[in-house]
Amino acid sequence: MNLPALLDCVSSSSCVVTQVSTGLIIGMLLFLVASGLTLIFGVLGVINFTHGSFYMLGAYFSLTAYRVTGSYFDAVIAGALGVAVFGVVFERLFISPVYNSNVLMQLLVCYAFILILDDVVKIVWGTDFQTMGMPATFALPPIHLFGGFVPPFYVFLTGLTVAAAFSLSVLVNKTRFGKLVRAAAVNRQMLSCLGVNTSLLYAAVFGLGSLLAGAAGALAAPVRSMSPEMGFSILIESFIVTVIGGMGSIIGAFFAAVLVGIIRAFGSIGYPLFTDGLMFAFMALVLLVKPTGLFGRKLA
Amino acid sequence: MQGRLTIKRLTKRFGGVAAADNVNLDFAPGSLTAIIGPNGAGKTTLFNLIAGRLKPDAGEVWLSGENVVGLPEVEIVRRGLSRAFQIASLFPQFTVEQALAAAVHARWRQSHSILRRFPLPSARARAREVLELVGLEAVAGQASQQLSHGDQKLLDIALALALEPRVLLLDEPTAGMGREARWQMIEKVHNLWSQQSLTLIFIEHDIDIVFQIAQSVRVLHYGKVLAEGSPREVRGNPAVIEAYLGATSASVPV
Amino acid sequence: MALSGCLVVIALALTLDNPQFADFVLRLSIFGLYALSLNLLVGYAGLVSFGHAMFFGFGAYAFGLLMQTGLVSIPLAFVVSIAGAAVLAVSVGALCIRLKDIYFGILTLAFQMLLHAVILSWVSLTGGDQGLQGGIPRPPFLGVDLGNPKQFFVLACVFFFGLVLLVRQMVESPFGYSLRMVRDNPERALALGLSVQRYKLAAFVISGTIAANAGVLMSLYVSGAYPNFAYWTLSGDGILMIMLGGMTVFLGPIAGAGIFLMLNGIITRTTEYSGLVMGIVLLCVVLGLRRGVLDFVFERCGPWAVRRLSREG
Repeated sequence: MNLPALLDCVSSSSCVVTQVSTGLIIGMLLFLVASGLTLIFGVLGVINFTHGSFYMLGAYFSLTAYRVTGSYFDAVIAGALGVAVFGVVFERLFISPVYNSNVLMQLLVCYAFILILDDVVKIVWGTDFQTMGMPATFALPPIHLFGGFVPPFYVFLTGLTVAAAFSLSVLVNKTRFGKLVRAAAVNRQMLSCLGVNTSLLYAAVFGLGSLLAGAAGALAAPVRSMSPEMGFSILIESFIVTVIGGMGSIIGAFFAAVLVGIIRAFGSIGYPLFTDGLMFAFMALVLLVKPTGLFGRKLA
Repeated sequence: MQGRLTIKRLTKRFGGVAAADNVNLDFAPGSLTAIIGPNGAGKTTLFNLIAGRLKPDAGEVWLSGENVVGLPEVEIVRRGLSRAFQIASLFPQFTVEQALAAAVHARWRQSHSILRRFPLPSARARAREVLELVGLEAVAGQASQQLSHGDQKLLDIALALALEPRVLLLDEPTAGMGREARWQMIEKVHNLWSQQSLTLIFIEHDIDIVFQIAQSVRVLHYGKVLAEGSPREVRGNPAVIEAYLGATSASVPV
Repeated sequence: MALSGCLVVIALALTLDNPQFADFVLRLSIFGLYALSLNLLVGYAGLVSFGHAMFFGFGAYAFGLLMQTGLVSIPLAFVVSIAGAAVLAVSVGALCIRLKDIYFGILTLAFQMLLHAVILSWVSLTGGDQGLQGGIPRPPFLGVDLGNPKQFFVLACVFFFGLVLLVRQMVESPFGYSLRMVRDNPERALALGLSVQRYKLAAFVISGTIAANAGVLMSLYVSGAYPNFAYWTLSGDGILMIMLGGMTVFLGPIAGAGIFLMLNGIITRTTEYSGLVMGIVLLCVVLGLRRGVLDFVFERCGPWAVRRLSREG
């Protein structure tokens, strides 16, 4: 534990700004991954443990697209859409056969794909760390804010994620698709009795969830170095976020993601070795006090 | 006092709805009582309150001279109250004999025994007795989930009987059966009651059955006791005809 | 029968004097025990734990640390570590069993990762991410010298069989059947007078304690303890083992541990992309067989197996 360092940081506005902005982008990326996780769990009742690998795929897809086209915009589209397509195929071929099996079977299918995708990435992109570098569009001087400096890309990432969160909640709360999603979260059998094509709905939700994870990967590409293990750590953290926020709750995922991002940013100064422990302790506490998470069971 | 069940001012609300509203009932030791009432009258809730699965908002449940409200369900079972469920509640993979032997172990407080093999020979012998009592000898070796609907209901009752209860609650023993099977089942229940020294309380929808075998009848309506007495008295009660038959014919086309 | 088969294995290993084979048998007894203990919880009591490695890691570290003090004998260190694991299991279990289904599993995972974080960050005691350094002394006791590989081998095997028989007795006892009742229909078990929560806790504690035994054995075997003993990947491997071997047959988890170790050995020796091959094998088992290997074999072996299966169930 390094309390003096933490106190030093908290008393300096530039350090606070740096850590808060770092925490925010960690939180934003976590939210994008966790919202897909929570959406899929809410509708399909499946915890997609491959979600971290989807994030990784998104990052690598965008890397390749960026190198080919030179446009970061294209890279983000490639990452998001590529993973969405992959997700739909994955759901149809491998997840749909185990919907009615127990949770361990689903877990194993996902685990198998974590192993497979990690190695596929090693084969295609190599085992070394890779970086995309900051795209030219964002290679601007940092913005001066509250006595600290914030990279412009951070502002872009945060703005885009907040917009995504907003659209997602509109989609779930205001559209026919959202109605189906909410209905499925309450009673899946009933929905298919009413003549809703649940296979299509499941594939769509899984695709949407994958799209979010892919987008997160693409958005992380300029600020994170890529390696075949990057899926694991984000999986664990986004899982924590999902549980703290309440499995199935998108608003919950947003708040929990920001919270975890901030804990991580300041924890890395105060308790570098125990940051993981801190988050797990927090998750255990939430589970014990309110097992369904801070924002309950309901979707959105 | 053994085997007497007395309910005083029992109240339970779900939101604004009173599932039990100041219910007062008394069941004499060794009596056979039917509880009737339209759907949603609070019959199953009453059983859950008695058995300790639900905690009442107010009131008392006296079992063999002791107020058992607030005791954990397990403690109430150990004081001699057991129950069978509206939808047979079984252990799907256990054979009939295994299930009954397990219930006998529970009765004898042997369920946690770790050093002996299941089933204890004595428990198995006792399970056999219960099997014969309810007439399930022929399917003793079958997995519970493979039994016919009627046999599953019987096994559920047998599990409750294996606990040697003083008070036995049966929630619709004839639910989901054809007319013929209903009468056979109720005859069995009646025989079981007359062979054991039991206070038996059962919920039943079929009025003919109720008036045929019950010594006395309690009518529940919107969580309140509407009438009680012998079948003859209850049948002639204008409030019952009005509320019970009226409500039934209005809401459920029979 | 199973027992005599195992005795043959010991005899074989000793006479063949093949260190590689002996090595495999030792690993199998450690991870077989670990998987068996997990299945007591998952298969018999229906409590899907994602944090079982917590007890394996605790057993290994507690035993290793006690032995490194140089003040205690092996049996004493063993007893104290197991007792410690039991205390840990009672406290963690009491909290975890308040939750159901997936939430139970997640909470066990959280506690396991907490222990992992403690191990990583308490560097002065545990050596942090380097693990326990300097080896674990093996002073002779009661005429047994564990420094001698043959003696260690025999003792480990005897220890393994002793515990397997104990678990076997447990799952065939009235207690074992009560666990199945709690798993299949907790409401009915309660209505029959079984204190469901107590049985869950008992299963949690017994299972955790046996996993700690496996951890102790592991720390003796590798003469150290490492943070990955308490990491979630080991919890995951445990689930993998019981799913590979089968949850409904008593020896399924041990078979699963064997399959897992062999697969791992073969794959890491033959290919650089072990994850790819392992993942494909896993997919074949899950989507092809849709059950563990022993489950599958037993279901295909006619009425004898079915009868046995229903008894195990």
